[in-house]
Order: sequence, then structure tokens, then C-alpha cells
Amino acid sequence: MASNARSRLVNATSRRRGLVGHHLAILMCSPALALVTSFLVVPAILTIRTSMTDMSLATLGSVRWVGLENYRRLLEQPELPRIALNTLAFAGVNLIVFNIVLPLVVIALSAAWEECLGRFLRPVWLLPRVTPSVVYSLLWIWLTAPAPHGTLNQLLTPLANGQSSWLLSHPWPVVITADGLIGTSFATVLFAAAIKAIPKEVLQAAQIDGASYWQAFRHIVLPFLRWPIMFVAAYQGLSLLASFELILLLTNGGPGLWQTEVWSLYGYHQAFSYYAGGLQMGYGAAISSLLVGFGALASLAILRLFRFPQLTAEPKLGAI
Amino acid sequence: MRLRALMALALVVLMAACGRGSEPASGPSEAVGQIQTITITAWAGGNPQTERGRISMLEKAAERLNAQLEREGAKVRVRVEGVLDASGDLARKFVLAAQAGQAPDIINSGHEDIAAWAQAGFIVPLDEYLSKYLNSTGLKDVIPNLWEAMKFRGSTWAVPQDTEARPLYFSKLLLRRLGWSEAEIAALPERIRNGQFTLYDMLRTAKEAQDRGVVQTGYGYWTRPVFGDNYWGGDFYQFYASFGGSLWEPASGRLTVDREALRKFFQFHYDAIFGYRVTARSVIGGTEWKQWHETVSRGDQVLFWNGGVWQWAEWAQCCLGGDEKGLWENVGFALIPAGEPGRSPTTLSHPLAYMVTSEKASGRRNQELAFRLIALATDPDLNSEYAIQSKHLAILRTQLDHPVYTRDRFLSATSYMVEHAFFLPNNPDYGRFDSTLGRVLMALAAGQLNVDQAVQRAIADLQSAVPGLIVR
Repeated sequence: MASNARSRLVNATSRRRGLVGHHLAILMCSPALALVTSFLVVPAILTIRTSMTDMSLATLGSVRWVGLENYRRLLEQPELPRIALNTLAFAGVNLIVFNIVLPLVVIALSAAWEECLGRFLRPVWLLPRVTPSVVYSLLWIWLTAPAPHGTLNQLLTPLANGQSSWLLSHPWPVVITADGLIGTSFATVLFAAAIKAIPKEVLQAAQIDGASYWQAFRHIVLPFLRWPIMFVAAYQGLSLLASFELILLLTNGGPGLWQTEVWSLYGYHQAFSYYAGGLQMGYGAAISSLLVGFGALASLAILRLFRFPQLTAEPKLGAI
Repeated sequence: MRLRALMALALVVLMAACGRGSEPASGPSEAVGQIQTITITAWAGGNPQTERGRISMLEKAAERLNAQLEREGAKVRVRVEGVLDASGDLARKFVLAAQAGQAPDIINSGHEDIAAWAQAGFIVPLDEYLSKYLNSTGLKDVIPNLWEAMKFRGSTWAVPQDTEARPLYFSKLLLRRLGWSEAEIAALPERIRNGQFTLYDMLRTAKEAQDRGVVQTGYGYWTRPVFGDNYWGGDFYQFYASFGGSLWEPASGRLTVDREALRKFFQFHYDAIFGYRVTARSVIGGTEWKQWHETVSRGDQVLFWNGGVWQWAEWAQCCLGGDEKGLWENVGFALIPAGEPGRSPTTLSHPLAYMVTSEKASGRRNQELAFRLIALATDPDLNSEYAIQSKHLAILRTQLDHPVYTRDRFLSATSYMVEHAFFLPNNPDYGRFDSTLGRVLMALAAGQLNVDQAVQRAIADLQSAVPGLIVR
């Protein structure tokens, strides 16, 4: 009887604690929730609403509800597969090569650097990140311009007839490299910080056990980097899906027919590209809405790939 | 406590509402004694070194308007607050400002913006003001065909501020090196004007210059550069027109595309880049304006190129220390040659215009004062000063004899081109027409499409993008 009463008391206490904890969690999350609601959920709802209207410069003041007409029109565009493929290629290659593999390679190589050299190179490596986009893209335009203006062609002229514009002849390699180097510097800093947090004893123990450099990197360093890699994959992957400013500045989606046009740039062009009244906000919103939906699915896929629930589970030690 | 807070909030909202309501509909103003000074805001785009006149003409006109108002015994005076925007993105800024009800009272922009802005209700028709003030101002002398470029759906929506021609420039220096005599060089503009020297004669001459080492490969003929810009420039329509193409049907105002002229237009550019190889592939799609100006302005690298009359002033400023002497020695100019024998030479005139914004766009009711200001800015002395500084052509018949205007050798020498000029269409779908056709030309220049593919693609894309397009 007494034990039942005690058990009920314990249950009630733990329920109350759970409730308090639950309320506290909501309270702690509320600033973030308010921000996400204000700057993501509400704009997304407004964008979807706009996508079902014929809003354009011509119809301002008399906007009509058109339902799914903009989506139907969008899906009929012959360039759509090309643009979708461009988007996946741009985001995929950029993410894997420049945001994950290259930073890991840089870190693996830089492990042997003297600390003073590292202190010098790390800020230099951050330059693409901290340089304003317009200045950064101008540097790339001058680098890749036709001879005699372009630096790259000036260097190559003795070897070959380097007259052509690299942005015209090889637009994707230039665009992806320029954009990718910004991501590389970001990921390198994150990974380097995560590696610094690995206890030295663990690496020393692996060395004593005869692990090679590669084995230590593969079996100790990489597992420690799972969190930062997941963060970079999710954060940079979604950023790349929505990113277009550097493409806009370097090629504006060209040269010619949609060569470097990505989904978000296509939406921008339709909604905001102005010459003699070409603004189609409703149609542009339909393009953006599909991207928002795809971005949400992609983020879920990334979380699943990296087993997010396991990463955020309570440590087993606490359950004992 | 809560009630008190609510009352305080209501008071704040009421005060804010009253504050907004008490602002005069004419905008910012100062009252000194009985006289009220109204600020008229104006935006214009342009090169600060050569085109500042688009604003300063209005500032000077304000002095004349104030004198008129004083004579009339009116209790208002005006002052102009102008912005000259050098970003090249003024039209988009204006649209955003107009949507927010914060547009200026006067906007200066290309006439092709009239249709979209009139349809959106951002600008007002000027017919009523024109009938009231036309005969008492410089407006009565505007060259008649310029008014045609100011019309949309039967009304006049703007006042011409400048106009231009877009000549074919040629290097006298390089033609001399090619063995042309001074007489032959001097006669070239007239041969082009008479249709005796066609676009293909130009390509053949450029090829000869390349073959004989007078110019580098790809430097025989340069078009306007296009670099990652959605706006590829009206210049290219000159070649379409040279092959007999038209952009719109005057009776209905509908946009048109002529299949045969379009084919010849694409063929000409294909031949220039891939056949004769006189145009470097990077000119369309990979050359910045700065690089282009530096390459053509001295007349010592490229044999033929096309640009605008206003660039004469820019080249003197940017690359020749402000002196036109070097240009006169080394550079000549002519109409855009006929595409083939039997056709006419041509040039594009692209008048910039002052427009008066609506109350919806600006939030103010200064329309009549703004119009009177524009009318006085159109006086021949003010416009001639601007024309000389910026190398734009006359918009007034009286300017053609005005001593200030006639003193300028370049303007006098290019004035005849206006007789051969055509305009872009005033149609709200023109922006989409332009970007669609531009994209296909850039694909042709990049080697993605051949001529047949370009024609098919252009017509299919235009039909999809432009409702009511007429294909001939």
C-alpha cells in the first residue's frame, strides 16, 4: 500500500518535472521559433499564395487568383529539365568536391604545417568568404577575361593562343570553382576546429597500436567529424540550392541557352529581371515555391543519411 | 493597467495616422510668408561625366518656372531635387519605389518603358497638359516623329529628352593601312547611305584586313559587347531591320517577327563569327564594357564596330584625355549598312523621355507643375547644351539651326542619321520579346545553335513568351 503510494508520488513528481521540462524547452526554443516563423514559414506561405496569382507589373492593383496555372505553365517549359539538372549538378558537385572532400584534403595535408604557417594560411584561406560577392566575382571576371585583359590568358599566351573568355568557353568549371572556394574556406575552418577538439590521447593510443596515418584519419578523425560534416552538408547543401548571386554576377545563367541557369536564378529572372516591364512575380513565386518544397525534402534526406536521431540521442551513460 | 496601456497604444496609432494625414499631398514644402515652395523630385540614369544635364536641365527650368509663377501671381514656387543614377538599374529601382508609393515626380527613362509603366498606372497621360502648354513652350518644336515614340494606346505619355543614332564606326587608320585612299575613306559614309556598301561588303573588307595582317583575327568587326546582362541592347535590331525586319505592326501595336529577316539576321552574325571569323566569339557573351571601350576607342585595333553617338563623348573622356582630336583623325562613322543590295541603311534611335508619375506611384499631386518643369527644360538652349556635352542628337527643329548646337562638328555630321532611324516598340511584352531573342542570339554566338535551329528556337520561344505575336 505504502509502496503504491510512493510509486504514485514518484510518477506524479516525474510527470510534473516532465511538464516543467517541456514548458521550459518551449520557452527556450521560442526565440528561434519566432524567428523561423517570421522569416521562413510566413514568407513561404506568402510565396505560395503569390504563386497562385497572376501578379506582374501589368496586373499590379488588379491581381487575380489563377490557381495552379503558373505551375502548369512552368512544367510546360522545354528548358525546365536542363535547369533542374544544372541545379543538381551545381549543388551536388560543389557540395561534395568543394565543401566536403577538398576541406578534408586540406586538413589532412595541413596537419603537418608548422603552427606559424597555419596561423598565416588560415586567414588567407578565408579571403573568398570575407570578400564581398561583387568584388570577388569581378576578380574572377578579370582573371578569366579574353587576352590581353585576362590574367589567366596572359599567363597562358606563351603556351597557347589564350584569347578566349574562360567564362564563355568553360562556364561551369569557372562558376563552380569560384563559388566552391567560398564553401571550402567555411568548411575547412569548421573541420579544423572539430579536429582540434579530438583528445590527443586517442590519437596517441592509435599510434602506439600501430595505426597508419590514413587508418587514424579514417577510423578516429572521420567519426569525430560526423557532426560538422552533417552540418556542412545540410547547411551548405540547402544554401547551394537557393544560391545564385555568383552565377548572376559571372554568367547570368548563360552563355546562350540556360547553360548555367539554376532554379533559383530562373525564379529571380522571371520575377525581378527588369527590362521594359518583364516582371512576373506570380510566375517567379511558383518557381520558388517548388524550390522550397524540394529544399525541405532534401534536408530530411540529409538528416536521414547522417542518422540525425542517433546523433542527438541522450548519451547511453545517462540512462544507467 | 491593461486598459491604460491599450489607450496609450491607441493614442500612438492615432497620432501616427494624423501625422501621415497632415502631410500635404504635394509632398515636402516650405512656406515663407504666403509663398509655398514645393519640391519636385526627379530621377534620371546616366553617365555623371557626360549626362548630368538630364537633371541640371530641370534645375535650370525651375528658375524659369518660378519666374513664370511670379508673373502669374501664383503663391507657389518649385525647387528640384534630382538624382542621377549611374548604376544602369534605374528602371528597376523606379518600379520598386512606385510600388511602394515613393517614386519621384519625374522619371527620365527609355521610351520602351512607357507601355509597362502606363499599364501599371505609374505614369500619367500628358494629352491634357500638352493641349494646354504645347504652343507656349519649346514643346511645339519637337521633331514630329519623336512624338510617335512617346505614344501608347492612343495617348502621349512622355516628352522626348534626347535622341540618338547608333552608327557603324570604322577605323580610318586601319583602312589607310589596308590601302584605302583618303578619298575612298571619306566617301564610305555616303556609299553606305546610298546602299552601295552592304553588311557583307563590310565583312569582306574586315576579312581582307585580317588576311593581310592589318588586324588580328577576330578584330575585323565588333558588335556591341554583351556580358552576362539580361539586356543585350537594341543595337542588334539594326541588323534585323537592315534585312527588312520589323518589330511591330503600327496599326495594332502588336509585336511581329519576320521569319526571313530573322534568318538573315542570324546568318549575318553566324558568318561574322564562324564564317569570316572577323568577330571574336567573346565579343557577344564574354567582353566587359571597359575592355570593349579600351579596345575600340583609339581606332587602332578593330576595323569596324557599332556603338552609339553618345559614346564619342565617352571615348574622348575615358580613353583620349578629353580630346576629340584623336577620334577625328582615326575614327569615322556611317549608318548601319543595308543587309543586301536593294535594302536601305538604318540606325536605331532610342529617345530618352521625361515622364510624370501618378499619385499612386509618388503619393503626391504635383503632376501639372512637374509637366510645366519638363516643358521648360525642353527649351532649345538648355537641350543644346546637354546635347553637346553628351553627344546626343537634337530633339527640336529649332535646335538644328541653334548656334550652340551647330557649333558642334560631331552632332552636325551625324544629324542626317535621324532620317533613317527607327524606334523600339512601345509594347508591355517587349521586355520578354527582347530577352527571348537575345538569349537565342547568344546561343548562336556561343556555337550552341546553327542558323536553322536559331530561327526555329527563336520563333517557338517568342510565341510562347509573347501573347499575340505576329509571325510573318
